[in-house]
Amino acid sequence: MSEIRQIAIYGKGGIGKSTTTQNLTAGLVEHGKKVMVVGCDPKADSTRLLLGGLAQKTVLDTIRDEGEDIELSRILREGFGGTRCVESGGPEPGVGCAGRGIITSINMLEDLGAYTEDLDYVFYDVLGDVVCGGFAMPIREGKAKEIYIVASGEMMALYAANNIAKGIKRYARTGGVRIGGIICNSRNVDRELDLLRAFSKELGTQLLYFIPRDNIVQRAEINKKTVIAYKPDSVQAQEYRNLAEAVIHNADFAVPTPMTQERLEEILLEYGLMDLADDYHI
Amino acid sequence: MALNLNSSNVATRENRIGSITGYIGSLSDLADQSNRGTLKGCSRCFSQSSTCLSTCALGQLSAIREVAIIHHGPSGCSAASADAYYLDKVMAKKRGITNNTVYAGTDMNEKDTIFGSAESLRRIILEVNQRYSPEAIFVTSSCATGIIGEDIDSVVDDVREEVEVPIAAVHCEGFKSRIWATGFDISDHAVLSSIVQPPKQKRDTINFKNFYESARSEIIDIFSNFDLEPIFLYCNSTIEELSHISESLATTCICGTLGNYLGNGLEEKYGVPYIRSINPLGIAGFETWLREIGKVTDRSEAAEKYIEAQRVIYIPKIEEIKKELKGLKAVLGMGPGYTFEVSRVLNELGIEVVWALAWHYDKKYENGDVPPSMEYLLENEVDFKASVADQQNYEVMNILNKYQPDLYLSRHPGSTVWAIKNGTPAVYVADEYMIFGYKHTLEFAQSILESIHNRSFEKNLARRVKLPYTDWWYQQNVDEFLEEVKSNGKAIR
Repeated sequence: MSEIRQIAIYGKGGIGKSTTTQNLTAGLVEHGKKVMVVGCDPKADSTRLLLGGLAQKTVLDTIRDEGEDIELSRILREGFGGTRCVESGGPEPGVGCAGRGIITSINMLEDLGAYTEDLDYVFYDVLGDVVCGGFAMPIREGKAKEIYIVASGEMMALYAANNIAKGIKRYARTGGVRIGGIICNSRNVDRELDLLRAFSKELGTQLLYFIPRDNIVQRAEINKKTVIAYKPDSVQAQEYRNLAEAVIHNADFAVPTPMTQERLEEILLEYGLMDLADDYHI
Repeated sequence: MALNLNSSNVATRENRIGSITGYIGSLSDLADQSNRGTLKGCSRCFSQSSTCLSTCALGQLSAIREVAIIHHGPSGCSAASADAYYLDKVMAKKRGITNNTVYAGTDMNEKDTIFGSAESLRRIILEVNQRYSPEAIFVTSSCATGIIGEDIDSVVDDVREEVEVPIAAVHCEGFKSRIWATGFDISDHAVLSSIVQPPKQKRDTINFKNFYESARSEIIDIFSNFDLEPIFLYCNSTIEELSHISESLATTCICGTLGNYLGNGLEEKYGVPYIRSINPLGIAGFETWLREIGKVTDRSEAAEKYIEAQRVIYIPKIEEIKKELKGLKAVLGMGPGYTFEVSRVLNELGIEVVWALAWHYDKKYENGDVPPSMEYLLENEVDFKASVADQQNYEVMNILNKYQPDLYLSRHPGSTVWAIKNGTPAVYVADEYMIFGYKHTLEFAQSILESIHNRSFEKNLARRVKLPYTDWWYQQNVDEFLEEVKSNGKAIR
């Protein structure tokens, strides 16, 4: 039995981490992989596409309502293709400490035996702005050894990715966590592929996959499905299958080399501009 | 000082008055840098010990009679409650009164930390109020509530009408300042903002901020000569007394570190003059202080008369004992208020201070001036090596080992024991009134004399004790672990 690959997905808020994670999961499931997705965001919307809606009671809500003596089945539900779905959840906005909540939830999952040997992958889908130590917990305590950062060619997405890489570097020294690559969730900005390749290289990693922008993703989301479930024959579904392949076969794990703000801006200037003056069409 | 009583938060001493916890140099340089605004606190890359400001804030407030302290945090944060409770009972017993102050912890658990526990806190406040009927309630924060941003202010505002007694949110998260005296300011702020009422009439009273009112009857006697009644704060104070302190003729304190915020606050808010002279320790201190009180309360004549009469009794005796103390060398380690005041008294007694360690240092008080005790020393051309040591015992031991003084003086439990183990006679200046006025200055001088006359205890103990510090450490400069001093290359050695 090989070790469970525990993977944390980070990236700027709104970049499409949850969408990418769930579609990737669907791709892995088609390969016969057993996957668990742990949503680490108080909004608890990381498993919506796999479960067909926000049908999940979060770990923290369950603890609050029922105490800590609970069955795993109360907080873990099966979604698309037998995927195990868990939402950590969190307090009301502006109250308490969501970061501590993540720590408690993951510990609870371990205590309840959620990490069974038949699992091939566990994904931690972490809220965009890793605002405190609690949200770094999946990598800090050696849960996830493999990190993918979802980014796009937009400046702030790259800025966030670089910052996240600083955190990974910090924990790489002690926890053995490594970056597996950048996943580009394309926004169709100027020379996005070149820019992401250059950025990934500078960061000491690879551009693992470039997911083109397609409005079918939006439609699938409205229908509470992954693209693979919504339109299995679509081109975009194949893209996610390819992403799953890339993850399965990925063997390129590195300690990232985050760059200075100045260097990041240089890369943007070098790769992020088309020569077409005043054409801002997306 | 810009006092904002509408906010329950008080800025830390570091931010408000530029206080520091690390410095090595001399008294004159410290004062010079304070005046020039160049003084920067140094942090340590190694810190052996310190004190939590929360203990200071809660210790002050819980000493008030018939109040409730509700300490919102995990149970460990309320560990100091046992000490405070014990001390309050002892102090009440000494005074012959009862103190039914209650100290309740909210026992915050992990779930409360994640979800917030404002509702539980509200219920606890109401339950404590109903069960104990306190005369005031102080709802205090802890590091845990500080980190999660628990909205204690809103809870307090919510229950204000229901509890029908003064209630205040007290923000005393231990981690927000390295200077425990910030806790004194926090307690003063809570009292000023929630208990003290605007004056209705002036009274012939003087507010006397102290720790444990051990010289209570003596000071009442002294002030009776001037038709003044002292109101001792906060140990054994009642809420009724505190509500009227805005009506006093002046505020004074036994220690500038302790009394500075309240004194300045009462002056700024209610026009109650704050006595800013050197403190009433030693002869010069006592006389300067009495004269200042005389001036401020229009009782100069009575003050002079009292001084004259007392001098006749005590000065010859003090002069006599000074002959035996002359030439002794001392090192002292205390809070900043006492460090420079006691240094001044030692100088007055003919003892040379070779090194003074202040646990922290306030480069100015709320009114913007450097502490008066320091100014006095420099005006009188007294200078010595000084450091700001944050209770770092290893720094004390390094200095004692290097200077081998005749005497070490400290006001903090345990510190003197280490000096004795080093073979250095030590005087524990435990009681805040130990050097107060003529009488106690004489007694203090006698204590010193007794400590140094027979040194066999210290010698024998030192011979049999193995101290944990290595020869390497004793050979180092005392600023070895002060980061900024070293990195700036400005070490004064």
